[in-house]
Amino acid sequence: MNGYGFRQAARMERIKLGSVRSTWWLAIAAVVSMAAAGAGVGLGYRSHTPVATGAQILNNSLGGAIVAQLLLGALGVLMVTGEYGTGMIRSTFAAVPRRRIVVAAKAAVCGGAALTIGLVASFAGYLGGQLAIRGTAIPAASLGDGPILRAVLLTGVYLGATALIGVGIGTIVRHSGAAIGTLFGLMFVPMIVAGLFGESGIAVGRFVPLLMLLNSIAVTSPIPGLFAGWVSVLLMCGYAAAAILCGGLLLRHRDA
Amino acid sequence: MLPSVIRVIELRELTKRYGRRVAVDGLSVRVQPGVVTGFLGPNGSGKSTTMRMILGLDAPDRGEALIGGVPYPDLKWPLRTVGALLDAGAFHPGRSARAHLAALAASNDIPGSRVEQVLRIVGLSDAATRRAGTYSLGMRQRLGVAVALLGDPGVLLLDEPVNGLDPEGIRWIRDLLRGLAAEGRTVFVSSHLIAEMALTADRLVVIGRGRLLAETTVAELAAGDDSLEDAFFRLTSQATDYRGVGAS
Repeated sequence: MNGYGFRQAARMERIKLGSVRSTWWLAIAAVVSMAAAGAGVGLGYRSHTPVATGAQILNNSLGGAIVAQLLLGALGVLMVTGEYGTGMIRSTFAAVPRRRIVVAAKAAVCGGAALTIGLVASFAGYLGGQLAIRGTAIPAASLGDGPILRAVLLTGVYLGATALIGVGIGTIVRHSGAAIGTLFGLMFVPMIVAGLFGESGIAVGRFVPLLMLLNSIAVTSPIPGLFAGWVSVLLMCGYAAAAILCGGLLLRHRDA
Repeated sequence: MLPSVIRVIELRELTKRYGRRVAVDGLSVRVQPGVVTGFLGPNGSGKSTTMRMILGLDAPDRGEALIGGVPYPDLKWPLRTVGALLDAGAFHPGRSARAHLAALAASNDIPGSRVEQVLRIVGLSDAATRRAGTYSLGMRQRLGVAVALLGDPGVLLLDEPVNGLDPEGIRWIRDLLRGLAAEGRTVFVSSHLIAEMALTADRLVVIGRGRLLAETTVAELAAGDDSLEDAFFRLTSQATDYRGVGAS
């Protein structure tokens, strides 16, 4: 009985997250988009010559993560901006006046949920691809194979981290449309900018989320010049931590 | 419930500026338990800003607001100490009333059975699973009152609770507030409706342009003039920001 704290705030956030429809729609959409992308890739390669490799199928069938990251990023954003847009934030801060506890609770609950959804979506992408190439000459990729399992797991973690970046940006920006716009911009614009540097772009590109996803995280072996998959994922978690920290600092001095 | 001294709201030199405009200007007031204290003032006089500062939602530029000597964020269980109705929209429209209350209850370790209790008190039991966004203004006010009552608090802050209520709802709020005060709670309720305050409140705190104009009782304020309304206008005549003139 030491008064309100993280445990209570986390319970509140869990109830809040589960009791709005957008959460469920975004979760379902993330899983479906990855499964569909995986199946689409598999079907496309069925009659492809030369016969695709197992790595090719896996790398491409995780490509749905491009869409899933936006959906889960939006999930994270809405967890914060959904409250600012509706006035709910005042009820929340009246219940838990220490705002950093609220941000920590939101990050923990959102991170846990998005990690779970991300992993399910990632496995759905893998399965979609594998089921679609059944009965062809294309070799199946087994999850017992280290690099395969690693790519699938890291993609799930990447998606969870994206949602946390969303929480951070949402806390900084506070407006749903502006925050989602900012998030999408941060996902795509750096990739285009890195592309402008041509050959030397890789030195910058290995820090860019989308390039890390497509060339280091969701692939069996990273493209030369990029970090190892787990380093890229850690970098994403670092971005998320920085964004949430910024939001938390701003929150202290703002009127709700 | 808490001992009565812990139920006193004390504002000390409370000041809030928005840019160059002073919304609340050195406001010092003590609000006592056991009576309904009306917080009167014209539109834009700083009532809502004061209420938000008491709840720690807005930070004062100077001075402090204390609940039983403690700043709001330092309360052990805020919702069990102070119940607040700030505006009838402080909820997510996509969430049901029951989920909204359950989430807030969880934040202060309030048992789930209390959620059903307050839903019954405000008469929303049958609509509890509906999304709050589909509620009428009156139902939204009732949900706000349910939130305020959730922690069975000794202090209640209500900002314009009768806004949007029908005559039956207004009477319900009036009886509810008077009942809560009679139980020994501190009830601080803002309004710009003098007639309504005359029926509900015992004590009055009148402000204009963020400054304290009078700390009095309903009986005292009405004694000198013909009506409470005239007394209110006399008091606030120098402190009203926007005034129309008669149509010609």
